[in-house]
Amino acid sequence: MIENLTLKQTSSLLKNKELSSKEITELYLKKISEGKELNCYNFVSEELALSEAAKSDQRRGTDNLKSDYDGIPIGIKDLFCTQGVPTTASSQILANFVPTYESTVTQKCKEAGLVSLGKLNCDEFAMGSTNKTSYFGPVKNPWKSKDSKADLVPGGSSGGAAAAVAGDLCVASLGTDTGGSIRQPASFTGTVGLKPSYGRVSRWGIVAFASSLDQAGPITKTVDDAAILLDIISGHDDKDSTSSIKEKENYFQNINSNVKGIKIGIPKEFMSDDLPMSTQKAWIECRDLLKSNGAEIFDISLPHTMSALPTYYIIAPAEASSNLARYDGVRYGLREQGKDLIDMYEKTRSKGFGDEVKRRVLIGTYVLSSGYYDAYYLKAQKVRSLIKNDFNEAFNIVDAILTPSTPSTAFEIADEPNDPVQNYFNDIFTVPVNLAGIPGISIPFANDEKNLPIGLQLITDSFKEQKLLNIAKNIEETVQYKEIPEKWWTT
Amino acid sequence: MGFDKKNLLKLGKLARISINDDKLGSLGEDLNSILKFVDQLQEIKTDEIDPTSNSLEQTLLSREDIIEKINESEDVLENAPEKEMNFYVVPKVIE
Repeated sequence: MIENLTLKQTSSLLKNKELSSKEITELYLKKISEGKELNCYNFVSEELALSEAAKSDQRRGTDNLKSDYDGIPIGIKDLFCTQGVPTTASSQILANFVPTYESTVTQKCKEAGLVSLGKLNCDEFAMGSTNKTSYFGPVKNPWKSKDSKADLVPGGSSGGAAAAVAGDLCVASLGTDTGGSIRQPASFTGTVGLKPSYGRVSRWGIVAFASSLDQAGPITKTVDDAAILLDIISGHDDKDSTSSIKEKENYFQNINSNVKGIKIGIPKEFMSDDLPMSTQKAWIECRDLLKSNGAEIFDISLPHTMSALPTYYIIAPAEASSNLARYDGVRYGLREQGKDLIDMYEKTRSKGFGDEVKRRVLIGTYVLSSGYYDAYYLKAQKVRSLIKNDFNEAFNIVDAILTPSTPSTAFEIADEPNDPVQNYFNDIFTVPVNLAGIPGISIPFANDEKNLPIGLQLITDSFKEQKLLNIAKNIEETVQYKEIPEKWWTT
Repeated sequence: MGFDKKNLLKLGKLARISINDDKLGSLGEDLNSILKFVDQLQEIKTDEIDPTSNSLEQTLLSREDIIEKINESEDVLENAPEKEMNFYVVPKVIE
């Protein structure tokens, strides 16, 4: 039985004609069907996937391949618009929406010959860190605590994208990350999750949440695979005015795991007594491992770390309240009947949005409203400058920063904090990276005493993805993390 | 300011989200909790600091004004909740 294939392995299986794209696609469709209980997919594009796979096999037969990865099946977070394939953002308000266009990222995947298996569940409009805000129900983490049968959250918002990779319901997947939505679920599921620099990957055709923070990126089984997918999806796009004109690099080809002389910063603000001992231990072990592999270690300070979360919870809702104004029941999506136009808007949005989305739209509307703009929104934008400046100063000293990815490992779906703010703390280590627009990667390091994956985060300066991947690869090679969850969902 | 019933209904009007009476209490508590959390920023001195609206250090780009066929009205209208000919239909706006 073929299990846990990476992009790199699948590429060579296809190349050596050991498997056809059709066979591999059928295999993953079967895994998806067996893994229904995980609730990873909002929509499985079975017919389309099989026909794309058949076309890929034809191209292979005539030596006319689109890329080395032609014919490999991947999963797409249900936030990327895909022409003719339902795109819901896991919201009732878009439950019947079928885009008439293709996002730049998914278009690039098509141009590389990748086969889409379907659309992956996520928190509604990517707002959440548990995948519990999805209209289509929560995703279950393939991992379970060793002493309990309780279902665990996969993290979020790209919960389906991370769980599908961890549970091997796709070879790799694409997610989006506004405040940690790739790295936090990657950490909870023992996968690799990369958030590129703001502007490295086009946002065109991705359902917008907070436009100054949103960025798409890969969730994969290995660092090499993250580099491969980043090669495919990155680059300037005329359709996104915030996409960078910097030349894209050949990340996979140039990957080099040598860390001799590389300077690694350990920020003191990320250490606290609340951090589980097993996470603290993993963090220290990783630091020591990099040191023994030749890196230099520096204690650094990012003084405004604790201000990042409140800053984010002003800026992200403000941008969301503006972006989500488009869901008005007129042009697409849900419409509730009303006695007049305004009544129709209000009823449609009240029914179509879930509780967390409503909270954020309302808070966003409040902080942007006349009389409160300066006190909240402008203030948050100024603190954002301070946070960005902390990183700039750190990168005058070090090449990369090492932190834990999350303040805990995966927890039970049934755990329900009374206060929404408690949930926000899941993103405490990832949010500063989005505010600064720099890249971050979460890689699995070890399992804790409950046998749940612990992820560590590496951060570099803007557009230093190559360096980020190189260091991540060094850790991966040294640690040899090979844990995979028991497949309880197939029995 | 806290979110009492009156403020919440006003905010709901601004955001075009109707709020049911039975939700006013719990929603008010949630929003007050979020507001209290973000209020800690007021303690940070930012007098001399410029705001950051976007982290990308790049001036806005212009591109050639070339007409492309994308999102043609016939296709786009396929997603309309209600349509007539080439138009979206909405509830009556003028009495």
